Amino acid sequence: MMQGDLIWTLVGFILTLLVFSYLFGDNVLFRLAVYVFVGVTSGYVVVLLVDQVLVPRLVTPLMQGSIEQRLLLVIPLILSILLVTKLFPRLAAFGNLSLGVMVGIGAAVIVGGALQGTLASQITAAVTDFNLQSGVLKGRDPVLKLIEALILLVGTISTLVYFQFGATAKPNQPPRRPRWVEMLAGMGQIFIGITLGSLFAGVFAAALTALIDRLDFITLVIYDILF
Amino acid sequence: MRAPFSTALAIAFGLVVLLGYFIPAPCDPANPGLSCTFLGIRVVLLDWGATLAGVAMLVGIVNLALVHWRKVRASGKERDLLSAVFLLAFLITLAAGLWFTPADVRFQRAVLGIQTPVEISLMALLVVTLAYASLRLLQRRSGLMAVSFVISALVFLLLMSGLSGLFQQVPLLREPVNVINRLPLAGARGILLGIALGSLTAGLRILLGADRPYSG
Repeated sequence: MMQGDLIWTLVGFILTLLVFSYLFGDNVLFRLAVYVFVGVTSGYVVVLLVDQVLVPRLVTPLMQGSIEQRLLLVIPLILSILLVTKLFPRLAAFGNLSLGVMVGIGAAVIVGGALQGTLASQITAAVTDFNLQSGVLKGRDPVLKLIEALILLVGTISTLVYFQFGATAKPNQPPRRPRWVEMLAGMGQIFIGITLGSLFAGVFAAALTALIDRLDFITLVIYDILF
Repeated sequence: MRAPFSTALAIAFGLVVLLGYFIPAPCDPANPGLSCTFLGIRVVLLDWGATLAGVAMLVGIVNLALVHWRKVRASGKERDLLSAVFLLAFLITLAAGLWFTPADVRFQRAVLGIQTPVEISLMALLVVTLAYASLRLLQRRSGLMAVSFVISALVFLLLMSGLSGLFQQVPLLREPVNVINRLPLAGARGILLGIALGSLTAGLRILLGADRPYSG
């Protein structure tokens, strides 16, 4: 093993043990590993932001760009400087202008993304499930495919209904949802449970793989040190 | 009216970017029309948004470092010496990254040498916490969702352990297994649509000026 490899293997070994100390409860050793991790990651993110965002988008065009490019960058430069005032409580109100621009652009991107990226694509996928021809081409039984598509549609609708919390209030009675909504919401609970259960199984399997990897790593390092 | 200038900027910038989604994207550079101009403005605004998001992240991290600096300098119970560890790790990484550049192999190796073992170990810890949490779930909450969650988790763990592939070999079981494997799609689709509708509402409320999260 080369010297550099040895150093990073030992660092990895120590950090793994520090994190695993959490099994005995929250303690200083675990927090030490987490603070180092957050510190290194924060430093790395700052370096990436400077190298990938600030220098190519702001500094370089301002230093070497044409007059047009420089003029176009005056506004983001001013907004960036205003954003920095958020670090100083007395001047923080000036940063609201930059936040307004950022939130406005972000909201528009979110609305566009939700419409095109999720709503349209998921509704299309729900409709495509009823295309029995594609199932037949793949050698699937069309009746089973139709049943599957119906189950998926009912599951999708009932899941959406579960999150509908609007209720009508009657005199001397607590507000309740209509009976049919309650029934659909009950079905929605089952479908949400199935989805979350499958996600849980996936995360658990991945975590188990990580645990096996770490235990294997610890065993190998101890073996290397001893023999 | 709270923060009128910020609200005006948010609505104006947001609407221009949003309208860009409804204008056909391909524009002929040889014959630039109104759509080309509009598309150009939208690209510039998105570029500004990306720059500002980067600066905002930078401000956030600098604020985090300042909070830790205050904790190191504080006296009594407020004092946290582990914050010094954070600051040390932060400053060393920052200095090394600026000196070597993030593309440097040695710098990347050093960062990954710390990030990878901590990330994988934290992931491994999830096995214990998830197992404990799932055992307590039925004790604390027993309902349709909890029962279907536990049954689904067990079924999918079994299928992931290799049973799914085994069942695919049996013609009689192939279709039911396919249906079971696709069953989580229904809930996932419903949740995704719900998130999208929620995002749409929140975004439109901001663009209409009803919500002003920037006026604080």
